[in-house]
Amino acid sequence: MLSLAIRKALPGFSLDVAWEAHEKVVALFGPSGAGKTLTLQALAGLVRPDAGRIVVGGRVFFDGARGVNVRPQERHLGYVFQGYALFPHLSVEDNVGYGLRTLAQEARRRRVAEVMERLGLGGQARRHPRELSGGQQQRVALARALAGDPGLLLLDEPLSALDAPLRRQLREDLMQIVGEWGVPTVLVTHDLAEAFQLADRIVIYDQGRVVQAAPKSDLLSRPASEQVARLLGVRNILEGTVLKATPEIIQLRWRGHDLEAINSPARGWLPPPGTRVVFFIRPEYVRLIRKDRQAPDPTHYMNRMEGRVVAQVDQGTTWTLYFAVDGAAPHARESHDLEIEVPRLVHEMLEIGRDHRWAISMHRGSIHVLPQA
Amino acid sequence: MPELFPVWLSLRVALLATLLTLAGGLPLAWLLARQRFPGRDLVEAAVVLPLVLPPTVLGYYLLLLIASQGPVGRALGALGVELAFTWRAAVLAACVGSVALLVKAAQAGFESVDARLEQAARTLGRSEWGIFWSITLPLAWRSVVAGTVLAFCRALGDFGITLMVAGNIPGLTQTLPLAIYDHVQSNRMAEANALALLAVAGVTALLMGLGRLARLRF
Repeated sequence: MLSLAIRKALPGFSLDVAWEAHEKVVALFGPSGAGKTLTLQALAGLVRPDAGRIVVGGRVFFDGARGVNVRPQERHLGYVFQGYALFPHLSVEDNVGYGLRTLAQEARRRRVAEVMERLGLGGQARRHPRELSGGQQQRVALARALAGDPGLLLLDEPLSALDAPLRRQLREDLMQIVGEWGVPTVLVTHDLAEAFQLADRIVIYDQGRVVQAAPKSDLLSRPASEQVARLLGVRNILEGTVLKATPEIIQLRWRGHDLEAINSPARGWLPPPGTRVVFFIRPEYVRLIRKDRQAPDPTHYMNRMEGRVVAQVDQGTTWTLYFAVDGAAPHARESHDLEIEVPRLVHEMLEIGRDHRWAISMHRGSIHVLPQA
Repeated sequence: MPELFPVWLSLRVALLATLLTLAGGLPLAWLLARQRFPGRDLVEAAVVLPLVLPPTVLGYYLLLLIASQGPVGRALGALGVELAFTWRAAVLAACVGSVALLVKAAQAGFESVDARLEQAARTLGRSEWGIFWSITLPLAWRSVVAGTVLAFCRALGDFGITLMVAGNIPGLTQTLPLAIYDHVQSNRMAEANALALLAVAGVTALLMGLGRLARLRF
């Protein structure tokens, strides 16, 4: 439904990206300055790429080779700008109806009223943008973009202008609106939670390139590279040496311990022994072994290691423990080897605040070996 | 009581000149504010030139152009229009003297309008022409009005350029500033005083009106 391959050189920055999406909602995720907004502007026709091709819903918007470049006026998109870009001198209803010039006055009035009603803006018609709250402004921007029944909705950081609590609330509203209107959507965000909650597919940008494009379900468990893992905010990105690899498992040597991880059969990757590999385990997947219970059998705990908690931080609903494993030379950069996240209740029950010596276990299915860059 | 013809002539000349300046200056200001094109710097410098050159120098070059033997004068002559030393030349002089004030003010006004608003309007399907009238101009109107009033006052007060290209023909091309000059030269101080006071009062009223207008909000 949407395929895009564009190049654009700017002073000090170059964009060179290609991705496709058949899902309803796509998120472009990445740090600021990665080229996400530039991509959105190219989609809308506000920026002309140097080369490439943009096809949306079967319509060719841009084709550098054939000299096709449809004007933004004729692309029929709804664009919600960062900060909303509402027309400050027009009332809410005039903002919403701005793109409906081709409709007769009566039809326009009805359409504006209908869209405003659906977006919960009833009664705001005569007010001006500066009299509205951030959440209401966002809705006006959405209403303005949706009023013309666009073929594609572009959302540029739709929630970044709002405070954190409001943001959570509006994220849900936004998800509901996008779902209800059923319009294909491209969302730009640097907030991973936003990307995950709203999108079906996530395209990860970094420095003007796409580093991974995948359905969101694949992303956290299978980042394509260490770079992607870092962009996703994955903690516990570790480095080890391959002892043995089979299509089913990879045995690793890490910090003086032998670990076993599941190999991805789909990948069919068999690194030779001695290969340096990067792997990660999510902090909430590291298990603390309770001292008051015996393991049912000696092999019950995989990848068992002992060590101590060197620091801990209260995160509110969880605690983050900084854990140093025994038997390893002092770490070069950090005082700890792993971050472990435990629920607050567990932290209290096990009295981790007082007791710093623990044994841990990592299920081999939780250890994700990253492909080499 | 002085002869009032110069007052009416000056008003007519300044009004016409302001309308012409608006018609030519607004598109130029928009171009300078929103478009990148070759020779843009040259155009920008040329716009400011009339503000910094001595009016007599401007008038001299203008006269060379529109005199019956000049390139423009000859072309107009072929059409049966005489320009030099007519009231039309006074309009032209007022335009040249005042256009920079309007262009610079309007350009600054257009530049202060967030370009993303225009982009939003584009994605909503509106033409560039429609966007100018519905977004850019309404949001820059204070600067445009201020520039227009300044241009009008400058047009009203032009002396040097007008003298060079339109002359100082009483009852024909003698505008208010020229008339005041004439009265002083002929030692008719009462008449000079009356006209000067009229000019000061008129322009002051205009500027006060502008100040009130600029405080208006949407």
